[in-house]
Amino acid sequence: MSDIVELEIKKLNFFYSGGIATLKNISLPVYRNSVTAIIGPSGCGKTTLLRCFNRMHDLYPGNRYEGEITFKGKDILSKEIDLIDLRSHIGMVFQKPTPFPMSIFDNIAYGLKLRGTRKKAELSGHVEKALKHAALWDEVKDKLHSSAYALSGGQQQRLVIARALAVKPEVLLFDEPCSALDPIATAKIEELIQELKKDYTIVIVTHNMQQAARVSDKAAFLMMGELIEFDKTDKIFTNPEKKITEDYITGRFG
Amino acid sequence: MNRENVRKLNSRIALSLSTIAALSGLFWLIFILGDVLVKGISALGPALFTNDPVPPGMEGGGLKNAFVGQLMITFFATLIGVPVGILGGTFLAEYARGRKISKIISIFSDIMVSIPSIVIGTFIYAIIVKPAGHFSGWAGAMALAIIMIPVVLRTTENMLSLVPWTLREAAFALGAPYYKVIIQVVYRGAAAGILTGILLSIARVAGETAPLLFTSFNNSYFSTNMNEPIASLTVTIFQYAMGPYDDWHKQAWAASLMITIFILMLTILGRLAIRWRYGKR
Amino acid sequence: MPVLFKKNAGDRIFSLVTAVSSLSVLALIAGILWVLLAESSPAIEKFGFFRFITSTDWNPVTESFGAATNLFGTAVTTVLSLLIAVPVAIGIAIFITEVAPHYLKGPIGVAIELLAAIPSIIYGMWGLFTLVPIMSHYVEPALQNTIGKLPFIGILFKGTPMGIDLLTASVILSIMIIPFTASIARDAFNLTPAVMKESAYALGATKWEAIKNIVFSYSKLGVFGGIVLSLGRALGETMAIAFVLGNNHRITSSLLDAAATITVTLANEFTEADTDIYLSSLFYLALILFVLSFITLAIAKLFLLKAERRYSR
Repeated sequence: MSDIVELEIKKLNFFYSGGIATLKNISLPVYRNSVTAIIGPSGCGKTTLLRCFNRMHDLYPGNRYEGEITFKGKDILSKEIDLIDLRSHIGMVFQKPTPFPMSIFDNIAYGLKLRGTRKKAELSGHVEKALKHAALWDEVKDKLHSSAYALSGGQQQRLVIARALAVKPEVLLFDEPCSALDPIATAKIEELIQELKKDYTIVIVTHNMQQAARVSDKAAFLMMGELIEFDKTDKIFTNPEKKITEDYITGRFG
Repeated sequence: MNRENVRKLNSRIALSLSTIAALSGLFWLIFILGDVLVKGISALGPALFTNDPVPPGMEGGGLKNAFVGQLMITFFATLIGVPVGILGGTFLAEYARGRKISKIISIFSDIMVSIPSIVIGTFIYAIIVKPAGHFSGWAGAMALAIIMIPVVLRTTENMLSLVPWTLREAAFALGAPYYKVIIQVVYRGAAAGILTGILLSIARVAGETAPLLFTSFNNSYFSTNMNEPIASLTVTIFQYAMGPYDDWHKQAWAASLMITIFILMLTILGRLAIRWRYGKR
Repeated sequence: MPVLFKKNAGDRIFSLVTAVSSLSVLALIAGILWVLLAESSPAIEKFGFFRFITSTDWNPVTESFGAATNLFGTAVTTVLSLLIAVPVAIGIAIFITEVAPHYLKGPIGVAIELLAAIPSIIYGMWGLFTLVPIMSHYVEPALQNTIGKLPFIGILFKGTPMGIDLLTASVILSIMIIPFTASIARDAFNLTPAVMKESAYALGATKWEAIKNIVFSYSKLGVFGGIVLSLGRALGETMAIAFVLGNNHRITSSLLDAAATITVTLANEFTEADTDIYLSSLFYLALILFVLSFITLAIAKLFLLKAERRYSR
């Protein structure tokens, strides 16, 4: 973990169309080459917060942000931000695996093709690299041109991670990436996340306390749209400042 | 221009084209409805409803015979087609639920819904008009009824399937036999939906012309005898529009307007009923 | 799951009545096929199959009949109207599902459904009295002066622009099937899971790229089924084009010539058929139309079922 702040969230409020604040006055830093976990009971705004970082909320009408999120010295919540550009710097992996209805190769190459890479050799190189990076290469190298749907759930999720890696983002957002996977596949993804943080900054939303404890360096505990506590993961899990954090961690509610 | 701007421009062009497509859809709707409205209203008058046709060139003719004939054909078609459709749909959704035969009849009904209506006209001609030796209102009503059956059958099936299974179980638990459960509980739960299906099926056949051309044919005199050729608005529109007289054209427009209003009202009513019953979607 | 029920008298009667009612659909389909076959058997005997569908004769006086001119008219109007309607319909579906602001989705959707509810005879009336003059005075001369001057394609626009022709009929037919195709395409597009689109956006795709690469590939089965279904509709449409096609039994090279389709021939000549073989030939046409549209609709249904099964999980 470095001391450089990759994403700086400052006094963030978020409103879904309808007007009620779903995130209230959230400030927190996300450090480069670290894993930051966002935890909290369901409906607390974890996913909502994560989807602010790549402005996913902009896809639907009526959503509104207040405050600032700085990334590379720019406020990514400002109107001038180019969302297409932003999203190629900040990748996202969803709850359920989302392979596109195309071959494994084309899935990985999709983002690169959007950006104009057309040469087969160049694409192949990038695809191989991304798949190796996502620890999937050995399992799929002989069937790159078969459908992505033929893969198992865990493989599909790693495929989607490789697809996000292929466009060379700096930040990766994970939205409960293991909630649809079995324990073995989950262990593989967690291992991969540990591996990836050497090169990327990672934010992960999870409802699984053990997972947060296993993979993250920092943890942010959210409740009802407010940031209750943010600290080193060890500290949050062993000696939290607030009683309510401790109650949640130890499973007294949530 | 860099690549990203090209991509954004492409996106904007494609989405603009889709907007133009949607506007063109609206354009045709307004153009056609507006045209029918303007030309129809100018020919509308009380004589249209109260008088029977007069020979071309004479003043004061109307289409009373066609209005009455249309109502009678549609009424009897509904009387025949709706019960068969509802009962058939009941079999698919209840007694044959989950069985292969149910799926098969469903699929064939869907195909039947889109079978060219003129083919049904030829069928009725062969089995009713030809043996009887003359065109008749009954033949027209039968042709329309055949068109209605699959429509009503499929909506009934869908609407009955929407009634939660637990509702039936609750009634079974009280010791009711299945037919009583269906008639007293399931039909009640699906009533609004079935009614909508009936409205939409009437809207579907009320504008049909092709299957009437050689079944109920046409009749320039007033008649309520379903055993004889009987006038209908739609066939009259066809005959008048293709005819050479200005008067005829005017009356055809007026008849078009009345039919359009009737069908659009039924359609809107049907949609409203669905929305009211099953929430907005 | 199939339902088991006690065999009491009431249920025995009611299940029998409902079963008979539902079987009426199968009986009707079989009955139509049987009756049309029986009625057209004199014509089938006299003209055979290949001779009938390839002969351009349609002569009540010499009692020589062939379906080629009708099949030609049906094929041209169907294909041409689909060529016009499909892109527009897909554009409308894209607009409703992906582009329109929320407050416009409802009204445009309703407008499309109303357009679909207008009976075909109204399209025919409107076509004859409003569209025909527009076509003959403005559109067709303009076409003749532009693409009509090109080599090869120009031949399609030869002749006097009268407005009563294949082109006008196809335009009306396309307006009729646009709403139908659009609403099926819209339903197919709506089956694309939101998270798949989000995944594309998360990779930095533009809206069009997300539609083109994700929505289209998810919905292609359904959209294709919808197009085939529209084709089935166009094949059998009668009144919308009966007014403006001219019932001319000829195979022409120009779209500005009058022609005849199976349906238009039936509508115009069925009650005038004065000899048995004439009537039987018309029944033969109806039989061909029935079989053609049945096959088309069955294929469409197959695609739609497949689409439903694949994506409604």
